[in-house]
Amino acid sequence: MALDTLVAPAQDPANAELSDPALIKLRDLIYCISGIYHPENKFYLLATRSRRRMKAINCKTFADYYEHLTTRPNRNAEMRSLLNEITIGETYFFRSQAQIEAVSKIILPKLVASPSRQAYKKLRFWSAGCSTGEEPYTLSILLIEQAANKLKDWNCEIVATDLNDNSIAKCKEGLYAEYSVRNLTPERRQRFFKQEGNLYRVSDEVRARVKFERLNLQDQSAILFMKGFDLIFCCNVLIYFDGVAKRRTVDHFYNGLVPGGHFFLGECETLFGIYDQFRLAHFPGATGYYKAIPGEETGASR
Amino acid sequence: MNPFTTQLLQRKVNAIGNLPAMPSVLASLGECLSASPSEENLERIVELISCDKSLAAQCLRTANSALFGRRIEVDSVRRAVLALGIWRIRDVVYSCSLPSIFGKADRGIAPATFWRHAMGTALVTQHLAQRLDIPHIEKFYLAGLLHDIGILVNSLLLGEDFHKVLAEAERSETPLNEVENEILGFTHCDSGRILADLWKLPPDISETIEFHHHPASKDSDSEMTCTVYLADLLCRLRGLGYGYYEAREFDLASEPSWMLLRTRYAAAGELDMARFTFELDEHAVKVQALVDSIFGKTPNDVTH
Repeated sequence: MALDTLVAPAQDPANAELSDPALIKLRDLIYCISGIYHPENKFYLLATRSRRRMKAINCKTFADYYEHLTTRPNRNAEMRSLLNEITIGETYFFRSQAQIEAVSKIILPKLVASPSRQAYKKLRFWSAGCSTGEEPYTLSILLIEQAANKLKDWNCEIVATDLNDNSIAKCKEGLYAEYSVRNLTPERRQRFFKQEGNLYRVSDEVRARVKFERLNLQDQSAILFMKGFDLIFCCNVLIYFDGVAKRRTVDHFYNGLVPGGHFFLGECETLFGIYDQFRLAHFPGATGYYKAIPGEETGASR
Repeated sequence: MNPFTTQLLQRKVNAIGNLPAMPSVLASLGECLSASPSEENLERIVELISCDKSLAAQCLRTANSALFGRRIEVDSVRRAVLALGIWRIRDVVYSCSLPSIFGKADRGIAPATFWRHAMGTALVTQHLAQRLDIPHIEKFYLAGLLHDIGILVNSLLLGEDFHKVLAEAERSETPLNEVENEILGFTHCDSGRILADLWKLPPDISETIEFHHHPASKDSDSEMTCTVYLADLLCRLRGLGYGYYEAREFDLASEPSWMLLRTRYAAAGELDMARFTFELDEHAVKVQALVDSIFGKTPNDVTH
């Protein structure tokens, strides 16, 4: 084989737009504003979603769109529309597989083995900004599946809150289309859902552990009552708050967790530059945040 | 490792006597690199690589891969050496020549899986060191590439028995070194050290191989060992591990090696570690592409 045939092949033209430098600038801008990071292997998502907005406002290139988002008077509104586009339709059962495995295989076993918890066997989870309920019901399914062994004799409660009354009503109704259940194994569909025509209704067993409430995360007095959680999920909610509101809300989450508790954002969201009380925790395929126990030994992987 | 285990392991290595020798191209390359840089030396390096046509071809492919920065496109060994510089070309030659000499060590771990982790760790080690502004990081890529070399030694030495160790690690979702310690009484760090000595690798790399699971200790507090330890951990948690789920959590802030690097390098305090972790997913794609180019189609055993 001649050596000159060994150079890297020219890039696939279909992927050419993914190497547009403006897309990298767009990615970094979104990260600065929202904390949502698109790795290069997810650029196709970023490109598709940006293009939807570009079409709506008649922007031809990513460079033009970047300029629009940084210099135009309505840039904040457009960024909000883009973030909506980025996070839309993102919710379905068992969506963040790596986070769910981290909870079931690492966090739960650690919690139930903790000597300090043996006298009072209660676990509390909070799904903050629960949207239409897929996230808290996923947690509920997880708890039911482990109820017979790891969580035997444990009392588990999930509080799920959202600002939107319609979302809360939808949560309580517990009726979902195929899209929401697409990631479920046939066993889980069979065990935890009842098919009603084209829709799937969550079983009473799954519903029983979840308490839905309307809550505005900006309501300083209401949020003060949200205390004593072992685990808080807040996916793709903080992105809509400004810096001060973000910091204040995360501070409430921190105070709402018991020491040793965990906090999860959306899969690609981070708290960098927003809040530094939490410790960044690495799990296989997922990152989360950890509230250290006062006086906890440092220096060992948990 | 206690002296008894060392002796036992050493005897086992001697008895079987099939540990691969350092490939001659690497030994000669090592000599060239330790000499002062000169035109003559450069020519000698080009000549060394060109001697072996398949190595030369693989080196070009690797030099052009996204992993080594694709900005330059090189079509001859000479241009590759000039464009990448001798340190990077050494990294390329190591990355290309080592997988072939360990080709037969497949009774324990799939070679493609092993080298994916090795190259991933090498890349992340180098990136992390650059981001922390650690000076003199010429050997960091190599240290990352070689850190787990003892796993191949164990595969060669123990064959089926080592396969059982791997299966147990996978079943119990436990780090490999812990299972090795439990079942074998020694780890790949110990056997890696023996090979490192046999190959007369530079002392800092040998130390990293031996202590990469116990960094920031009284035995080893070098930046190289700490960085390789963190890169190894991150790779194993981010799709560049050994293809099985390790049920573990670590927080960087309480890792002694991170604390040590933080005290020595101000840049560590400013690094957005969550973003760095997400960027690993980008590296994973590049590493997989390179490993595919070396091994052809690889088994789809990535669990994360």
